[in-house]
Amino acid sequence: MTQREYIALIHAEIDGELDAANRAELARHLLADPDARALREDLRRVCNALDGLPEVEPPAQLRQSILAALPQSSVKRPGLASPYWRLAAVIATVMLAGAIVFETLKGAGPAAGNLSGTIAAQTPAIVATVRLGDGPVAGRASLLHERAQWAVEFDLASSAPADVLIVSGAYSLRVNGIAGPDKAGGPPRRVTLSGFQASEQPVELRFLVAEKQVASATLRQPATR
Amino acid sequence: MVLRCREGDRAACEQLVVRYQKPVFNAALRLLRNPEDAKDVAQTTFLKAFGHLADYDPTFKFYSWIYRIAVNEALTFLGSRKSFEKISGEEPDGTPGPERQVEGEQLRQAIEDALMEIKVEMRSVIVLRHVLHLSYKDMSDMLKLPEKTVKSRLYEARQLLRDRLLQREAI
Repeated sequence: MTQREYIALIHAEIDGELDAANRAELARHLLADPDARALREDLRRVCNALDGLPEVEPPAQLRQSILAALPQSSVKRPGLASPYWRLAAVIATVMLAGAIVFETLKGAGPAAGNLSGTIAAQTPAIVATVRLGDGPVAGRASLLHERAQWAVEFDLASSAPADVLIVSGAYSLRVNGIAGPDKAGGPPRRVTLSGFQASEQPVELRFLVAEKQVASATLRQPATR
Repeated sequence: MVLRCREGDRAACEQLVVRYQKPVFNAALRLLRNPEDAKDVAQTTFLKAFGHLADYDPTFKFYSWIYRIAVNEALTFLGSRKSFEKISGEEPDGTPGPERQVEGEQLRQAIEDALMEIKVEMRSVIVLRHVLHLSYKDMSDMLKLPEKTVKSRLYEARQLLRDRLLQREAI
């Protein structure tokens, strides 16, 4: 394997996209090459810093200025002349016809439940959820897993600007401004855990307000046999 | 919601603005740095999106579609400038505080500076991955590039950032 390929493995590992064979190959390389270890550490720091860049609230007047600039007629209604709607109509007709034929001819097919895995695989799996009770920071945090990528989703309320420190074994990531009065009622915020590898270690969440820890929670992955 | 907005339901359009204004604004901000420019780009993005909703193909994800408009608008904005200069204005950071760790603050500042120093094609993939949290597949669809090319560009961009941060002794 070339140096360039090893570097690609480091990036893939940080993105949680490495399979077991390549992970073992990378581990061997890292053991033998201190420069590669240093590069990996640097890149992890860069990615953590990028993922931890604070989300900036849009100016309050942005929404109003968009809506004010939007005349009633500016949202164009698609007619059947639109190729997408024509295609949608054809698909709907074919599906309806197919459904009628299927209902007529159906025999013993797989149960609907047997097909659900295909659909479920498209959405992130919630591995663990924890609720934070009454306190300066309250709400819910969930550990998610999707396509080899780990993330924590926060749906929080806080009376003061709060940061969170996510720690699991040697892994740590700080996200500033995870909750605060300006974010009340906003959508849940998802934080990707770049470089995080699943392990037996629980994921600890430490919530900080003005650099003082005000709450903590632990996300435990279900034990695997 | 997209379909209702397309049918002229202003409340649905407003919901779309509420839902997507933050990621669209943040993507533009990380590409342009200047909050006023980012606001203008975000506004243009939504107006273009609403003006072309008839062309939106519902088989694709709406966020992917509107993010592509946002990134293209930001790139057009950058292209319209003869020379790109660093903006010294203050950002409306949502979470400033005198007690924030100095080290973290310095790294944030350094990475924001470094982002503005790399080529805009490189910055774009960083923003798609680390600000909008898109998958390689979504990035590939958005940029109309093979996934392999997207990964290669992302890896190169990260290493450029790493080199600049090392020069600044920020990592």
